[in-house]
Amino acid sequence: MPAGRVEFFFSFRSPYSYLAGPRAFALPERFDIELAFRGVIPMVMRGQKVPREKGLHTLRDVAREADRLGMAFGRIHDPLGAGAIRCLVVSEHAVDVGREREFVLAASRAIWGEAVDVATDAGLRGVCERAGLSWADARAALDDPAMLARVEANTRALGDLGHWGVPVFAFGDELFWGQDRIEDLELALAQAGLSLP
Amino acid sequence: MSRARERLERRVGPRLVVAVSRITLPARTAAALRRRRGLPGEVELFFAFDDPCSAVALIELSERLTGRSVELRLRPVLRRGIPGDPAVEDKRRYAIEDARRLARRSGLELARSQPLAAEEIGYLAEWVAASPPQPALERFCVAAMRALWFSGEGPVERAALESLWREQLASAPPVGGAESVSANERLMSRRGPYDVPAAWVHGRWYFAHDRLGQIGEWLDELGWRAA
Repeated sequence: MPAGRVEFFFSFRSPYSYLAGPRAFALPERFDIELAFRGVIPMVMRGQKVPREKGLHTLRDVAREADRLGMAFGRIHDPLGAGAIRCLVVSEHAVDVGREREFVLAASRAIWGEAVDVATDAGLRGVCERAGLSWADARAALDDPAMLARVEANTRALGDLGHWGVPVFAFGDELFWGQDRIEDLELALAQAGLSLP
Repeated sequence: MSRARERLERRVGPRLVVAVSRITLPARTAAALRRRRGLPGEVELFFAFDDPCSAVALIELSERLTGRSVELRLRPVLRRGIPGDPAVEDKRRYAIEDARRLARRSGLELARSQPLAAEEIGYLAEWVAASPPQPALERFCVAAMRALWFSGEGPVERAALESLWREQLASAPPVGGAESVSANERLMSRRGPYDVPAAWVHGRWYFAHDRLGQIGEWLDELGWRAA
């Protein structure tokens, strides 16, 4: 049983979440923590405004950061709407079978680096299979209202924390917003004595 | 939405934006021409005195640009952010904690636990916006940010800041800077940034507190390396 717990709030429509993913899922390799994945509904689908300039800046800034991190970025298919929701629902199924890391990383790379349309069965099926998920089980999850209810609960939980965007890491009473705040989270985990030998 | 429009908005448009952002030849050529004319590089910082992340960015940028042939143009603003943003109060609160962590990376300790009200210290933006760029102005801004954010939790004393101004600029603070602040806000809007601290660096803009290292790398790439 891990000694600590970090909640990882993530959106498939957030390219910053995509950038954070590999480093976030690697945290339990270095710290004695459980990383709890919590996929949330995109900001725009929650009624928050994203001005055009913010969207443009995000793409440009993420391109620079992705280059720095050596991650694929630029062949994009924006998943806003059905694509994002389908990924969120399947990610809940992936949590149940212990393959959330594989699915979340594969799906977000497909969206932001490979221009895969995850709103289509063909697109999502390829991602599921790459992540080691049964397409039949993933397809069944898409029709399960309990899975969507979990996504909605995750989204409410982010709001209850007083936060608006993603990625967010919650550790104890502390929140860390942004892929570029993982180093601060790591410091907090180390100070809490959770570093693994 | 038609299939063609959907393809444009979801695939072609974003891909094009990213591809164009990776073209650096025009900026590098313009920088080379600028250097040939003997002109320094320029970092324009849009910032707010009531924003703790601006304090970190300003102090750090001022230090990091030392030794480069680059001028820091200070453009204080009051109004910023996304109009009608429902998360504005959450963001202001979170900025305190975020700035505290960023400041620690720079060896600074944020002294405040509550946001400052923009309207209470709006005069600072007006003084700075009304003054021509000069090294003493930058020194004043750094000293003012240190006084506001890193020296205590108490109320802001205008008289103390006026003394600081006189100490650095050997004159009384200028009056009538409100229009200059508005001009900064309009310029920021035209350039694209919608919030502070934003650094405009030869065709690119960055959230300055988040991207201090990347600003340095871009200046390196443009040829304005540290001596």
